[in-house]
Amino acid sequence: MKAKDLMIPVQDYLKPDDTLRDAVNLLKVAQRGEERVGVKGLPVLDEAGKLVGMLSIRDILKSVHPTYMDLMNLGEFTWDGMLEETAKKIADKKVYTLMTKDVITVKEDSSLMDAVDHLIKRNVKRLPVIDKTGKVIGMLYERDVFFAIVKAMLNENTGGGK
Amino acid sequence: MTEEVKAATEVVMGTQFWIATAIFVLVYGLIIADKIHKTILAIVGAASMIILRIVTQEDAFHSMELGIDWNVIFLLVSMMIIINIMRPTGVFEYIAIKSAKVAKGRPFAIMAIFSVVTAVVSAFLDNVTTVLLIAPVTLLICQALDLDVVPFLITEAIASNIGGTATLIGDPPNIMIASKAQLDFMAFVYNLTPVIIVVLIAYVITIKFIFGKRLTVKEELRQRVMAMNENEAIKDPLLLKKCLAVLAITVTGFIFHGMLHYEPATIALAGAGLLLLVSGTKEPHHILAECEWATLFFFMGLFMIVGGVVNVGLIKWMAIKVLDITQGSLLGTSTVILWFSAFASAFIDNIPYVATMNPLVIDMAKQLWPGVTGIDLLHHPDLMPIWWSLALGACLGGNGTMIGASANVVVCGMAEKMGKPISFKQFMLYGMPLMIESVIICHVYIWLRYYVLKI
Repeated sequence: MKAKDLMIPVQDYLKPDDTLRDAVNLLKVAQRGEERVGVKGLPVLDEAGKLVGMLSIRDILKSVHPTYMDLMNLGEFTWDGMLEETAKKIADKKVYTLMTKDVITVKEDSSLMDAVDHLIKRNVKRLPVIDKTGKVIGMLYERDVFFAIVKAMLNENTGGGK
Repeated sequence: MTEEVKAATEVVMGTQFWIATAIFVLVYGLIIADKIHKTILAIVGAASMIILRIVTQEDAFHSMELGIDWNVIFLLVSMMIIINIMRPTGVFEYIAIKSAKVAKGRPFAIMAIFSVVTAVVSAFLDNVTTVLLIAPVTLLICQALDLDVVPFLITEAIASNIGGTATLIGDPPNIMIASKAQLDFMAFVYNLTPVIIVVLIAYVITIKFIFGKRLTVKEELRQRVMAMNENEAIKDPLLLKKCLAVLAITVTGFIFHGMLHYEPATIALAGAGLLLLVSGTKEPHHILAECEWATLFFFMGLFMIVGGVVNVGLIKWMAIKVLDITQGSLLGTSTVILWFSAFASAFIDNIPYVATMNPLVIDMAKQLWPGVTGIDLLHHPDLMPIWWSLALGACLGGNGTMIGASANVVVCGMAEKMGKPISFKQFMLYGMPLMIESVIICHVYIWLRYYVLKI
């Protein structure tokens, strides 16, 4: 099995100039395969359909977390309502200011082990799958790779190599 | 004058002279241009000095006069180790939160207390470290109180540069001057601390006039600050006790190092070693890796580059020129050095500046008192005010602009990350007048203490 066999075709994506408010709205309802369940991360594509970044729930968490709190242990000194206050303040920020720009992708013909290698070493949960021209054609999710493993363990018919 | 003219002719401006001068000018120019990281420039420049046979590797690595000043390097690295062990204890968070509560959440009181705390901590720790420790808490407190953080960050950076000037270990220029001039910790306390206390008082009064009326907070927001429990900051009380004990021993060591005939670096190294030992850490490589190696290599590179231009006589030639300008007047020389150092340090890094000025002052002394050598020359009574002028000018000058001192660069970087960039002009608007105020105080102090009262 290859990356393209397990990926889910891209249906929802963000544009760099979308606001965070738009982004969280889409994250909330985005489709994953057949169902509208909300996803934890979306690709950011420019007008030409080129992948320019990824925006995940983690990026949203980072955006409300003040940078100065990375420098020292100040968690105990925060107050009730601080998170909500910050969330309101940043709602109009553009996606491109907060997205992860250094995106790890896999090629459509990459092996699943290559995908797992990226998932583990780069500590990500989802990988955009690109075709030969560099266009994003789908998303490969950690959970789906896990199901491929489950299948292989429980059902010998889906072993590697066709 | 005839002495000086004779001495001037001793500088041979041959090929070596011009090669060394070219490397020196190129490296310093590129440091100012700020396109390539200064540490890379320092390393490349130092290697060039050796490759082109301006200095030998032996001299570059081992000579006090022409090479790396290990006294400075080991003092810096040892203090970095001590801070790296201390940081996770939470003591710095504790001090900052406690300060905000002592100020009862009133904005100017917070600004004044934070400035004084920053100055005092800076007198014992590196300025950049100090602002890196106080600024995050400042950002939190300002967010809690819904205050513009920019004035707080600027006043803290300036306070850290002022406080750092007070002691031998407070600011790299002082560490470098102390090593070259063989001055001990108490000499700095006697000569610089008094004037820095005056400068700090004047500073707090001045910022009261500038910011006092502008800062207001809503009563209910103050409760957020008052509700913070500083005791929660302390993560490791046992380690903190060990750190404070070792720090106390180290500072005592600094106070007596001159009397005991130990170099300051020896004291710091002993302190770092002792703390590593008693902290019970199993992972010294983490603590060591967190030292600022880029800064340390910047120092090493600069020492070798300056060694090169000392070796070919460029610095001596410059010393003679300075004496020509001041006509050999000592009051004139110290005044020129004070003001020139202040303005030079406002625009260029004071570390390369002092690395260059140290041998220049020594060369100047050799011109003025040709028969005197060694410690008698370095500690010539008439030379002492010149060392103090250099220290005061180079340290306080950093306040002039946002690029004048590393502490300023760091707070400006933080402000930018928080979405509140500080412009060059905005910093200078506060920094330059405050710098000039402090240098005027120092000018009067030097004139009064060393040339009128002669104490």
